Amino acid sequence: MEIRSAASEGLASCHVCGKVSAVALVHCPRCHGHLHLRKPDSLARTWGFLIGAIAFYIPANLLPIMTVGGFGGSSSDTIMSGVINFWHHGDALVAAIIFSASILIPILKMLALVWLCLASSGVTSASPKALSRLYHVTEILGRWSMVDVFVVSILVCLVQLGAISSVTPGPAILSFAAVVVMTMFAAMSFDPRLLWDRQHGLKIQTGTPPSNNS
Amino acid sequence: MSETSEEPRAVVRRRRRWSSVWVVPAVALIVAGWLIWKNYHDKGPLVQVRFETADSIEAGSTEVRCRSVKVGKVEKINLSDDLGSVVAELRIDPAFEDLLRRDSRLWVVKPRISTNSISGIGTIFSGAYIELEPGEGPTGTRNFKGLEEPPVASANVPGLRLTLVAEEAGSLSVGSPIYYRSFAVGRVERRTLDIKNRRVRFDVFIEEEYAPLVKEGTCFWNTSGIDVSAGADGFKVSTPSFQAMLIGGSSFAVPKGGTPGNPVLDGAVFELFSDESEAKKSVFTPDHRCLVFFDQSVRGLTVGAPVEYRGIQIGRVNDISFDYSPLGDSRVPVVIEIDTTTLNKAVEDVKDEGKVLAESVRRGLRATLSTGSLLTGALYIDLDFASNPFPAELTQIDEFDVIPTESSGLARLQDKVDAILAKIEALPLEDTLNKFGNAADEIAITVKDVRGTLAEAEGALAEARELLARDETQNLTAELDATLKEVRASVSSFGPNGAVQGDLSRTLDELRSALRSFKVLSDSLEEEPNSLLFGREGSGDPIPRARIVR
Repeated sequence: MEIRSAASEGLASCHVCGKVSAVALVHCPRCHGHLHLRKPDSLARTWGFLIGAIAFYIPANLLPIMTVGGFGGSSSDTIMSGVINFWHHGDALVAAIIFSASILIPILKMLALVWLCLASSGVTSASPKALSRLYHVTEILGRWSMVDVFVVSILVCLVQLGAISSVTPGPAILSFAAVVVMTMFAAMSFDPRLLWDRQHGLKIQTGTPPSNNS
Repeated sequence: MSETSEEPRAVVRRRRRWSSVWVVPAVALIVAGWLIWKNYHDKGPLVQVRFETADSIEAGSTEVRCRSVKVGKVEKINLSDDLGSVVAELRIDPAFEDLLRRDSRLWVVKPRISTNSISGIGTIFSGAYIELEPGEGPTGTRNFKGLEEPPVASANVPGLRLTLVAEEAGSLSVGSPIYYRSFAVGRVERRTLDIKNRRVRFDVFIEEEYAPLVKEGTCFWNTSGIDVSAGADGFKVSTPSFQAMLIGGSSFAVPKGGTPGNPVLDGAVFELFSDESEAKKSVFTPDHRCLVFFDQSVRGLTVGAPVEYRGIQIGRVNDISFDYSPLGDSRVPVVIEIDTTTLNKAVEDVKDEGKVLAESVRRGLRATLSTGSLLTGALYIDLDFASNPFPAELTQIDEFDVIPTESSGLARLQDKVDAILAKIEALPLEDTLNKFGNAADEIAITVKDVRGTLAEAEGALAEARELLARDETQNLTAELDATLKEVRASVSSFGPNGAVQGDLSRTLDELRSALRSFKVLSDSLEEEPNSLLFGREGSGDPIPRARIVR
């Protein structure tokens, strides 16, 4: 495919105002933002946030996400035990929502990002069209994982009836929030243009900013 | 390394080896790892407790408390491997790890209602919990055997802990109160059978404030149930308090004659006597064992029967057995143990205490078998100075002193018969007989009188016969005829045309009307008896109404 990319012409779009100008100018002539051909350090940043997200994902699932105290003592649930409880109590819908929002989506998102990163660094190959669609889906769905965090924070605020019933957040909810935020950062710092660059055999050193004067 | 531009301003820099973004996953890993570690560390130790049943404990919600402070929670309940018990896994807060000592005790607090206590009522609503009572031993134990019943007194409660040893458990059981002058001052904590000594051991707790009451020389006895005993002194029925009757109990006291010693320390062992009299008997300390030989049946004399000196108990029968008698002696040997101090005082002029008995015997001290109670036939041994004793000396058989006896049976019986005869004599028989005699005399006089009266009656009859035979009497008929005529004439005036008849019929009419009004009166009285007092209510239809309450 003989598609000429802006990068191959030495042109970069400003990250701030979107004006396309020669990357050699270093600074955008309109808004004076830094000019990069590609997001700087995109893969490394994505990997970094991704690994952070995976790290936080472990305590998010192992530790109790919230503790419901009441008359007959208190019980604390992890995400998965909560899902199982809901399922056993017949609330299949709620169980499915929590399962997809809190377990399925984060996992899929992280897997998708891993795949994108691997693809853009050339370890695996797939059609750039499919990959870019995957990237967009990831970006859109990712934020819905925050539902869990919001549910817990609202419950904690609302259910404070003293001895009768009270909800306290568990340590997992912070980890979980960190997972969601980090996957969002990872998705943001990923530059999908790398996928096409790889396809077109464009040799842009994406890992480093082309030039830097501080 | 820019290939894209030939700009002279380009500055070629060495690529940084490490992008600063790698700080993020590093921090994330550290924080996540720390979170997990902290969570597991904060969970505290997992303790396994074995219970017979998991009744009313629930995994995930039952709390573990120590003096009502929550120190943990039941995490899991499993059946043990041999399926014979239940293993509850308790998660103890790390702050309270020190409570887990080797002799810590755990039991389930739930509502319990038994004969002597009601406990754990609060748990009806709040649910059962597991009480942890820390012990004194070294920490670090993770496996416990839970108690099925809550311990009666927590080991930490200050007080006196004693051991009572008894032949029979009786109705004394765990929780039974210990009384001092019928006031509960403690309770039985544990009851065990000492297999080696074949005796029952009671671990007893006396509250701290009453602990000084227990001294050396204190006697404990069973006050359980109703005690009916027949002894030398007749029937005895003793009943303790109602509670003790139901659930048993034990009393203690320093009996009269006993010398209270120093207050005792924890772990002291006391004998538990079967009743109060046993306890009292135990007090006195015999210092002398003697043999007495009775040339008669000792039926009714039991081991433990009292030995008395002029009514004061100075000893008891220790044994009755022919083992002690020399060969060929048909007399019944009875071993008695006596406390000679009483005798010492009675024979005060003997200074050498060892000689008291010998001197007493020389002066006529004899043992006799006496009947304590005619009702039960129980015998006791009476030591007394005989009034005219045959001369005797204190002899020795084996290690026993032999106190001479006085054959008492017949003499005593005679005495008794005498006493009975004296009583019969003393009855006012003569007086009664005299009274009988007087009565008979009076009857004789009365009969005489009656006879006289009969004779008089006979005379009167004869006179009557004479009278009838007379002429005047014969003429009487004529007179009677005349009289009858007159009567007839007067009666005729009563006839239908007679004047009296009219009067009579009028009178009858009036009488009839009077009767009628009487009937009316009685009717109205029947209806309203109160009209006699309050007069009649106004006539007209009766108005139904409630009774007037004044």
